[in-house]
Amino acid sequence: MTTVSPAATLAEPDPRDPEDRLARFFDEGTMQPLAARDTSGAMAARGTVQGSPAIAYCTDATIMGGAMGVDGCRHIVDAIDTALREHVPVIGIWHSGGARLAEGVTALHAVGEVFAGMIRASGRIPQISVVLGPAAGGAAYGPALTDLVVMGPLGRVFVTGPDVVRSVTGEQVDMEALGGPDTHGRRSGVVHVVTDSEQEALATARRAVDLLAAQGSFASVDGEADDDLSAMLPEAKQRAYDVKPMIAGLLDEAPLELQSRYAPNVITALGRLAGRTVGVIANNPLRLGGCLDSPSAEKAARFVRMCDAFGVPLVVLVDVPGYLPGVGQEWDGVVRRGAKLLHAFAEAVVPRVTLVTRKSYGGAYIAMNSRSLGATAVYAWPGAEVAVMGAKAAVGILHRKKLAAAQPGEREALHAQLAEEHERIAGGVGRAQEIGVVDEVVEPAQTRKRLVGALAAAPAGRGAHGNIPL
Amino acid sequence: MAVEEIHAEMVSSVWKVLVAPGAEVAAGDTLVILESMKMEIPVLTERAGTVAELHVVEGEVLQEGDLIATVTS
Repeated sequence: MTTVSPAATLAEPDPRDPEDRLARFFDEGTMQPLAARDTSGAMAARGTVQGSPAIAYCTDATIMGGAMGVDGCRHIVDAIDTALREHVPVIGIWHSGGARLAEGVTALHAVGEVFAGMIRASGRIPQISVVLGPAAGGAAYGPALTDLVVMGPLGRVFVTGPDVVRSVTGEQVDMEALGGPDTHGRRSGVVHVVTDSEQEALATARRAVDLLAAQGSFASVDGEADDDLSAMLPEAKQRAYDVKPMIAGLLDEAPLELQSRYAPNVITALGRLAGRTVGVIANNPLRLGGCLDSPSAEKAARFVRMCDAFGVPLVVLVDVPGYLPGVGQEWDGVVRRGAKLLHAFAEAVVPRVTLVTRKSYGGAYIAMNSRSLGATAVYAWPGAEVAVMGAKAAVGILHRKKLAAAQPGEREALHAQLAEEHERIAGGVGRAQEIGVVDEVVEPAQTRKRLVGALAAAPAGRGAHGNIPL
Repeated sequence: MAVEEIHAEMVSSVWKVLVAPGAEVAAGDTLVILESMKMEIPVLTERAGTVAELHVVEGEVLQEGDLIATVTS
């Protein structure tokens, strides 16, 4: 017969209990509340994450669904300001229906003060949000103002809930479709990492804190065996491939990828290279052929600015056929949103090294941390192409009349010959090196060593700016 | 039974069709190869299952969002 001791039953915590959630977030036994537990609807604490000090706050979903009132908001603002003063990361754990209705505009005012606190801290200390339950209205914009948002399976983020949506627009939608992990992980890009469990969400936030707060320094990689990463490229130049294994091969271990399903034609990831935290931006030819488009440029721009704000050096892996053409793109504001990436790179003062693995064409060439935007170093693998466009397309425009005048039977041969000549003078990596837009052609097997060398030799920098959620 | 709909992500032409309806596929298998921006872009299934429908033929031009195939698992 199984007996259950009453004491054990009583000790079983409510899974929504903020004290329990905070205790599970921090290193075991390190959580210390900043203020005594109360009925304000929020709680804040200090503790360590992999030994690094951090502050965290958590809305109290056991009281009025975690609704935010004046006193609860004061705890959150205190937590942010304490973290700012002590220069440590601050983590928010969210499960809240929004502002407390009964407190009226005073609650809205208090929620606004939380936002102002987040913006005060923006770019100065890492702010990470973990959404474990519904985070509606004011509670939605809280996470959105922070650097990274992690969502567990029961996380929901929306400004107005399904009932209001139904009454105003007539749309029938449930909370999950409106603002669940799939919606925000894939469609909206609001959430950076979606996880399968609450515990995994907390663990992911811990990993992000460790990467940003304990960045480490570059270890020597001189003694390492060579690893020819170019073996991962397909044999056919025009064949697309997944760049993720190449990134994992370059870094010490598989990185923490951000917004992996949103704008997947660009990869943004935090990981460690020779022990030091770096940010990786890479075109992924498997999706949209690796073209830049408006969401991917914006995604990359925000990532570059976050890394710059926290002094995280950047590795940029380039294999880009250009910007995605189309009416949809132009109407979607690819000019405005693409401009953000140019701005973000040129503004960044962290060491940032570019490697052209296969090709870099057109406007996208400039946007991918080119020499002109102030890259610390630009490397290329042998055979890489840097050009305005592919040679064949270029001569089709440059020599249109000549090609049109050729006999139909000879046109193809002439086109190929002109393309070859053009590539020699305008498209090859040799020419790019001559004019100084590529510093050096590196042996693929030496890639890791060369990237580490260039990043480690560059003066460390850290951008003095906030991290507006672009 | 879950149905995965696979749509074209961009304007492209169908270069090669590698599976037929009824084929068993594993997650990450290539169903068709599209040609766009002078690149050959494989279209993969995210889930293992059976190809239920195939809506494209080689040489066909696809618009963004066109349905390529459905995979049931």
